[in-house]
Amino acid sequence: MGAQDPFGGLLCTDYADATTVFSTSGTTGDATLYAHAWDRWHPFWAATARDLWEIGVRPGDYVLGSGFKMRGPLYHADQMVGAIPVLVNTGIGGWATALDAIRRYRPVYAQLTGLALAELDHLSRTTDMREVFSSFKGAAFAGEPLGARARAQLESWGVEVYLWTSTGDVTGAWECRQHDGCHAWEDCVLLEAVDPAGRTPGTSAPVADGELGELVATSLDNPVTPMVRFRSDDIIRMTRQPCACGRTHARFWPVGRKGDETIVAGRSFVPMDIWRALEGVPETATALFQLVRPAREIDELKVRVGYDPDTTTSVPELRDRVSEVITAAVGVPPVLELLPEPELLARGRGGKLPRVVKA
Amino acid sequence: MTAASSAAAAAALPRPGPWGIGRYDAAGQPVFFEVGWDDWRRDVAWARAMLADHGVGPVKGDGPGGGSPPCAEKVGGGLIVVSGMPESPWFDPFETAARELGAPYSIGEIYAFEAFRTGMYARRLPVTMIFGLDRTVAEGLGDELAEVVARVPVIVARPDAAGLLARAGAQPFIVSRVGPALAVECPYRSGAHVNGAEWAVAERGGELFISTAGPRAHQASEAALGLRGTLTDGPCGCGRTGQRVIISEGA
Repeated sequence: MGAQDPFGGLLCTDYADATTVFSTSGTTGDATLYAHAWDRWHPFWAATARDLWEIGVRPGDYVLGSGFKMRGPLYHADQMVGAIPVLVNTGIGGWATALDAIRRYRPVYAQLTGLALAELDHLSRTTDMREVFSSFKGAAFAGEPLGARARAQLESWGVEVYLWTSTGDVTGAWECRQHDGCHAWEDCVLLEAVDPAGRTPGTSAPVADGELGELVATSLDNPVTPMVRFRSDDIIRMTRQPCACGRTHARFWPVGRKGDETIVAGRSFVPMDIWRALEGVPETATALFQLVRPAREIDELKVRVGYDPDTTTSVPELRDRVSEVITAAVGVPPVLELLPEPELLARGRGGKLPRVVKA
Repeated sequence: MTAASSAAAAAALPRPGPWGIGRYDAAGQPVFFEVGWDDWRRDVAWARAMLADHGVGPVKGDGPGGGSPPCAEKVGGGLIVVSGMPESPWFDPFETAARELGAPYSIGEIYAFEAFRTGMYARRLPVTMIFGLDRTVAEGLGDELAEVVARVPVIVARPDAAGLLARAGAQPFIVSRVGPALAVECPYRSGAHVNGAEWAVAERGGELFISTAGPRAHQASEAALGLRGTLTDGPCGCGRTGQRVIISEGA
């Protein structure tokens, strides 16, 4: 490579030896490049094929394709288990077509994101969602936390939700049918949970089983850009206790991002506090919001909130109610910027809306 | 269980269905279409030949390898394929072909909020081709577009981006979805080739219609695409014969 290594020293082969180079979204900083060398199935998604099998996807089943491709051919996981991906738009604005595809092909599985749920919430007013999803064995959700209201709504449609997350972009970790934590595949990644306050992995002590810790990942099957004790900034609770499903690999529950804790006027809160508050207001129940935070400690609580223009009759009156619930949740009255949901959705990136932004 | 044992178990599974399902519009109505595994294999072979004509192959050295079209030498760098997940029935064969040709590739999605990724890959990697660049991403690059155009020697763009790219200093080749088919311009710039073994295109009153010519899972017959363009026939400088389409800009 040239004088400035775009991989930051991570590339252990020649660029020429890589098959694909993808990147993190860079939501909270510069995007990190990672590469794989592979033949036939992309390794990240090949591991995911095991999780689809656990959900019940079988040869000949149709599955609804994911809305995004920046992390590569996710449908390799579908094809690897013999399923047939229905590749229609499941991103923003695509769900009317996707529902048409669901009715035609009766898929057993789909990959959902928070932004997709916001659109499905609107469609549910004119569509029998229980009928639409009646063919499903499960749906996966990733990219950000799943709010309590959204989970309840999916369950009311008869959809069994499987949360998954990434292990420092090394591979995916999915819930099994027990829904008791996300299973890592430890033939692909070695997981540690360490004291988040430690500055380097070498000086960080592992936390006790089940305690809050920072996810540290080491890739075991990527000789091109192997992450070695990569500090992910993800705060988790991890256990090595066997799961009721029988698996013995590490299991963890995502809690949030390191640094998401914010202090305003001496009071501490995390974005999930605002999330839960907004779910209780019908016009903002999809909980589309951004905490505008130039620094971790701030003097005023500035929140950008998306509202449903179809059901909002008075924005000033809505402002009062939103202000009230956020004040109750955080203890500080917010400075609100209310935007129609489509305007806020346009600020999304990679299937998710950055919840903490600088401006 | 290991990755190898998982792959071995997966290889033993039956594949009772097609490669996947895509969707295009004909006569203003959605058409869902199957891509069979044999269809996909032939599409990969065609894509491989088209990319090879543009000089795509194993990376040579650190920097851009040049290769002013018509490319007499290997382009010698990686690719960015700009496409969305729903476009995979059209673009996956080109990604697979890049892998088979030994050229590393990255994916830049077709959404404005993802334009940064195309710019970032072009800036940070020795990329010598962008394949599929559309107007949304070109506009999303903003001031960075001129830098991308200056850095990347071969840009194969959608028709709606051609004018914008030309004004930024590029001489883009054209790639366009034509119903269920993909048309790709070769280095001789005589219109975008359609794989004549698979598809037949007709033009009436400036509108393009497509029919299936090969043994594909999806059989279309004179499907009206709502796409404006013209047809060219006869031998091309690349040695291919058969139809080329010239899509009206903005289509």
